[in-house]
Amino acid sequence: MNASELQPIEQFLQTHAPFDILTPELIAQCAREINIGYYSKAQAFVEFDSVNPKLYLVRSGAFEVRDPHGVLVDRVAEGECFGFSTLLSGEKVVNKVAILEDGLVYHIPQTIFSTLRASSRQFDTFFTRAFAQRLRNEQKFKAKDLTTTSRITSMMSSNPICLEANAIVKQAAKLMRDNRVSSVLVQRNKQLVGILTDRDLRNRVLAEGLDGETLVEKVMTHHPKTVLPNALVFETMLMMSEHNIHHLPVVEDGQTKGMITSTDILRSQSSQPLLLIGEIDRQDTIEKLIHVSKQIPLLLQNLISADARAEEIGRILTSVTDALTRRLIVLNQQLLGKPPMAFCWLAFGSQGRQDQVACSDQDNGILLAHEPDEYAAAYFEKLSHAVCKGLDQCGYVYCPGDIMAQNPKWRVSLSQWQKLFEKWIVSPDPKALMHASIFFDMRAVFGPQSLFDELQDSVLSRTKDNDIFLAGMAGNSLQQSPPLGFFRKFVLERDGTEVKGMDLKHKGSALINDIARVYALSAGIKEVNTAKRIRALIDRNIMNRKDALNLADAHEFIAHMRLANQGYQATNNLSVSNFLKPQDLSSLLRHQLRDAFKVVHDAQSGLKLKFMRSF
Amino acid sequence: MVNHLWLKGRLWFDSLVTKNSLYQDYLNALTSQFNLPIAQTKLMAVDLEMTGLDPKLDQIISIGLIPIYQGSLPLNQARHVMIGIEGSVGHSATVHGIVDNQLADALTIEQAMAWFLKQTQGHILVAHHAPLDIAFLQNNLASVFGQAVMLPFIDTLAIERKRYLHQHGQLIEGCLRLGQSRERYHLPIYAAHNALIDAIACAELLLAQLSAMGGINTIKCHELVNVAK
Repeated sequence: MNASELQPIEQFLQTHAPFDILTPELIAQCAREINIGYYSKAQAFVEFDSVNPKLYLVRSGAFEVRDPHGVLVDRVAEGECFGFSTLLSGEKVVNKVAILEDGLVYHIPQTIFSTLRASSRQFDTFFTRAFAQRLRNEQKFKAKDLTTTSRITSMMSSNPICLEANAIVKQAAKLMRDNRVSSVLVQRNKQLVGILTDRDLRNRVLAEGLDGETLVEKVMTHHPKTVLPNALVFETMLMMSEHNIHHLPVVEDGQTKGMITSTDILRSQSSQPLLLIGEIDRQDTIEKLIHVSKQIPLLLQNLISADARAEEIGRILTSVTDALTRRLIVLNQQLLGKPPMAFCWLAFGSQGRQDQVACSDQDNGILLAHEPDEYAAAYFEKLSHAVCKGLDQCGYVYCPGDIMAQNPKWRVSLSQWQKLFEKWIVSPDPKALMHASIFFDMRAVFGPQSLFDELQDSVLSRTKDNDIFLAGMAGNSLQQSPPLGFFRKFVLERDGTEVKGMDLKHKGSALINDIARVYALSAGIKEVNTAKRIRALIDRNIMNRKDALNLADAHEFIAHMRLANQGYQATNNLSVSNFLKPQDLSSLLRHQLRDAFKVVHDAQSGLKLKFMRSF
Repeated sequence: MVNHLWLKGRLWFDSLVTKNSLYQDYLNALTSQFNLPIAQTKLMAVDLEMTGLDPKLDQIISIGLIPIYQGSLPLNQARHVMIGIEGSVGHSATVHGIVDNQLADALTIEQAMAWFLKQTQGHILVAHHAPLDIAFLQNNLASVFGQAVMLPFIDTLAIERKRYLHQHGQLIEGCLRLGQSRERYHLPIYAAHNALIDAIACAELLLAQLSAMGGINTIKCHELVNVAK
């Protein structure tokens, strides 16, 4: 058989990306290795061969890629491919491919696919991009829009309270009271015939002067609107608002499957940050506050899967922590009485920088307006212990280094704080520098801003252009380096037996935080958020614009990878860590991550050059 | 279309009476196929280019083969050979586009028939308008080996005629041609025509037909097989 004899197949390849960039020889080689399959709609789904993964190139027909939850990821038609995720990641096929229209599919075996990728960088990039895109799509479709894609089965109550039609209103009211619900479903022979709500009891019974002996049948709504169990939350909300109703029985084939109320839907939306913060502000006991805080991990998961920027996620989660902290302070003040003097609740470290991820440690302190007397000291001791304990119960575990307001060392007056900073700045020994990296990222979460400004201004005036101190800080931040080895291969950490991967926090994000902090302190910049610090450095021409932008991008990218990895770990019931295994990444992401680490490495060199020249 | 026990008996009888050991092996290799679902049957789509339509007068110019295994076509097992003919291809060149000088490294008809038996051994043949191709093959096999042999086959045209009549009641001129039949299953149009591409086109049509009829796992081989009488 000579090359041109499969001409129609070769022609097809030649006219479809990314095959169109291949040489005629490679196209001929590829065409010869193709296995032509036929898929019929009657089969419903493409059956994947898990032993021999292959690329599926659609010659005719139409297909739909759906994730394991049935959410649409991609539509594939003539000239487009599926199956590459498995080929690129080496992971098992989890997505399902539905056959929408009968068609021919060219199966391209893994061996020839690898040959093509190896022989053309463009061909390789096409698929790694498509893969990254699909990953993003998968997550986007999944959670960005919880209301539009999720189905009501996940939030309905599946054991609705039911009553026979010949019951009396008194029984219905009792049933509703005992089960603490606002409606009952009315059945006859197990078939739904009506619904009775709180509102019906008020409007159709009490207002009409009827008594408790009235038959339910007489006052209920007959043949109420119902929804199917697979209805979308979005559709259900629409239906409720159109008909101005708050209760919808979930019915399938005449059988009552459950009940969904507007409250159920509202509750499902409460992991949205604004609603969560609103709810925090409304709670009037510490117990309720602790209960509400249980939604924070879900909020993080939603934000990660909605593909929010890492910087935004950090700011949102920190806002939630700030709100919780403030509410804890207010509630405890109500118990302890009015505070004897003005004070600020200080947040340090990640809360200070506003780059918290869920369930970080606590790093906090109290700044008192002036020296406390015995009563004031006792008051703040009680307050700080109560707030720190509350934070711990809300999932922000006690700081292992004891940097907390409940430690009397970090609960002092303005002049004492100024002395502490002064000591770290003047004699920057290793312990002081370690402290400094936490304490210099500080923010007031509660209390008068003017009091906090007084502290921060005095600190910054000391650090600005303080060569010895800055050299010490720079040196300290150069102790760690990004995980790049010779020839820019990743250096992985092991703990004896297992490869832990790359530490994206300590060998990535933290290094960038360090770099930005040294520059910010040298210029007296008040910002503590790393992205904002970098922006301020650009505005004041302190860092080269291009380098600074690269550093900001690297910061976002590494933080994003860390969050995405934690999201992946959490959804797969793995223990959540900062370690990423490079083999879990597509070659494109690996490439980008390597570039990001290179930027960190270069920025470290720049830092050394600028601050450590004479030391 | 034929009783598979009868077919099995006929194959067994033929292999007994034939004196040609090549044929014996060929027929014996087929017997196990008929009671299998199509998914497990070894099929071989075949297409011939000829100098004309009369099996007694005209000659085979080329043979294209593509196996169908588990409902898919492995193109790396596709085969295409040219056959040297006596005299010129003449006017038939206008139909199939093969001209004399392309036949320089062609096989002789003896080589081609031996090659054909070896390639298709153990496979049920599939062709569009199969009786014509089968008649050409049988004539040439008889003249090469001095004896005729039975070749069981599946005819995609016969399948299509039955399905078309069932759906439309009557036939329209040309509606059973390979191209038109493929169109009804939304199969792509292949511009170039040679024996290999037509064999592939025929194999794809069979897969589409099978899928429309209930799938390769439910239909058994003997439900489709025919023999030339």
